[in-house]
Amino acid sequence: MRQLLVLLFLFVISCQSRELKKTRELVFWCSNNGGEIQFAKEFAERWQRTRPDKPLRYQPIPEGQSSEEIILASVVGKTTPDIYANMWQGSVELYAKAGVLVPLDTIADFRSFIRARCDSAMIREITSSDGHIYQVPWKVNPIMTLCNTRELTPNTATGPPYDYSGYLRAGQHVQTRDANGYVNRWLGYTEVKAIWYQRLFNFYPLYLAASNGAPLLTQQPGQPPKAAFNNAAAVQVFRFLQTLYRNNYFARERLSATRDPFINQRIVTQFTGPWQLSYLDKFGGANLRYAFYPMPVPDGYKGPIYTYGDPKNIVIFNTCPDPVAAWAFVRTLVDKPGDLRLMELTGQFPRRQQLDTDPYFTPFLAKNPRMAPLARQTRYIRGVDNSEVIVEVFDIISQEYEACVIFGKKTPEAAIADAARAVDVLLMTE
Amino acid sequence: MKKLTPYLLVSPYVLHFAVFVAFPVVFSIVLTFHRWNIISPMEYIGLSNYERLLHDRLFWQAVWNTVRFLLVHIPLQIVVALGLAELLNRTVRGASFFRGAFFLPVIVSGVVVTILWQQLLGFNAGLINRMLTGLHLPRVAWLDDPTIAMYSIAMMATWKNVGLYVILFLVGLQSVPEQYYEAADLEGATAWQKFRYITLPIINPTLFTVVVLSTISGFSLFIEPYIMTEGGPLNSTLSAVMYIYKQAFQYYHMGYSATLGFCFALLILFVVIIQRRYVEQES
Repeated sequence: MRQLLVLLFLFVISCQSRELKKTRELVFWCSNNGGEIQFAKEFAERWQRTRPDKPLRYQPIPEGQSSEEIILASVVGKTTPDIYANMWQGSVELYAKAGVLVPLDTIADFRSFIRARCDSAMIREITSSDGHIYQVPWKVNPIMTLCNTRELTPNTATGPPYDYSGYLRAGQHVQTRDANGYVNRWLGYTEVKAIWYQRLFNFYPLYLAASNGAPLLTQQPGQPPKAAFNNAAAVQVFRFLQTLYRNNYFARERLSATRDPFINQRIVTQFTGPWQLSYLDKFGGANLRYAFYPMPVPDGYKGPIYTYGDPKNIVIFNTCPDPVAAWAFVRTLVDKPGDLRLMELTGQFPRRQQLDTDPYFTPFLAKNPRMAPLARQTRYIRGVDNSEVIVEVFDIISQEYEACVIFGKKTPEAAIADAARAVDVLLMTE
Repeated sequence: MKKLTPYLLVSPYVLHFAVFVAFPVVFSIVLTFHRWNIISPMEYIGLSNYERLLHDRLFWQAVWNTVRFLLVHIPLQIVVALGLAELLNRTVRGASFFRGAFFLPVIVSGVVVTILWQQLLGFNAGLINRMLTGLHLPRVAWLDDPTIAMYSIAMMATWKNVGLYVILFLVGLQSVPEQYYEAADLEGATAWQKFRYITLPIINPTLFTVVVLSTISGFSLFIEPYIMTEGGPLNSTLSAVMYIYKQAFQYYHMGYSATLGFCFALLILFVVIIQRRYVEQES
């Protein structure tokens, strides 16, 4: 009898905790910058007003070296939020394969939503290798060429927009040396260290620009994926960058450790994204004139100029007790009012079709003309390939980049071929 | 109860040892036979990680980089530490001040020291190159030239750690009886002969301690290249420990990383045993 009572008690307790789990509030993690915290706050409060039956709490992602590390730690510790906005697209495949994300395409209205928001190329880009979609394309920060337009007059022989020859001419035009013969003013600067993610801000956008947005990897049905970047575009990009370093048009020293070299006018161009606008508005000073232009392209290149969009997306973790309600909340973040508010509060761009011509957004862009070129660029952006080992792929490219571009130890052809071979071996063994 | 008391008294240590030493060691060895990325279940792969290690050129380059570091760092450290200890052993004015000054970098955070040296060694804006330019000498790419970057780090690490070894040598030198030197003086021994035949044999145990400590701390080289160069340029400062860290926390290859760590620990053990045997023979 006593044993029966104990069993009954345990059963009641377990039912209660399951019920509690179902009704607990949803947790939404946002990025921890001021604009995005404000964005999350507004939308969480609005949700509470309209859906008091589904309580939701927003929380900036805990502090850490990188948000990727925090998310990984939370997955391992099973302390993931229900909704996370700011997931790097390259990480999604890893989590999808580990089975910790909700396949959003299994939710009733997701397919129709995604077809309205994205074109077919974008849908292909976010579809995982198992055919499911685990992420909502949310925001992008296109990497473009930021130019000091006081030094480089647009549409002149040394001014933007640039093909490779024009950019090299500009390098010769702006380079100066100090009394000891050392260069003290360069055309540009981009991190020289062989850290994988730095290639997202130099090699990769230039490769997308030169290759009409081609992927780094390819896969035939039933075959393992292979490197797809052993091509003329990648070789041209390596040669172009190598020339910039060989001629000292780009600084080899870490200028990022000193006072901002663009503001200081020690460099006059930079491959960067929209986050630079608010920073330059604040610290640039009255004398600095600048504008964004597409990435330099090979001479004679025709066609749209693609770049890396640095996409950050929204995911729902499978620890979420109510994915349908979570999705309903996410929809409020990515509808037109949500996207407009994102631009207003953060200066970042929503990832949606025809942003620059949609009458809902054009008044905002007209009021913020510096953002207009970036908005136009959002038509021609790419994320990264969906691969569990994409970090290693970029690391391999980085190793060859350093050997060829920075130190000139290899020809561009050999460096690209070696990188492709190493990536093939990696993909075969994974 | 009386029988239980000793067990209760040692239980905190046993528990600590089991949780923080024994379990991680055993788990690491188990991991070497698995593929695991932390978030997916472990997959048994037999000896594949060991096979991969044999063909991993970057790991062997990282080991060689670490050895290059040690080959410069250990002799430099011993010579500088012994030289400074010898000076401090004499009755010099402000000896206690110098002792404190040499020891100060040891207690300063490694990260702080590394960032400071990164600024000193910068090519254009670094203080050392500015001084060279002031003397009409060419600038040196201390951290940007793959042929010298590791030696710059060895120099910095020596500066950081030498204070500790100065103290150890000083203790050793003070244990040498003064009469030995007096007798040697009467025999007309030179300073070098006194050092070679009196000082060195007596401080041999200290020397062994310094060599072992320097070897172990040198093999665990991580903070300096991680902050200053991130293993570059051209992987010339990529240390073995840094490579193990990258495999674990950049690529999430926990199994492979454990394999590298296990083999590297065996390598350190091997080197220390050889050092010990050599010193014992010398003694």
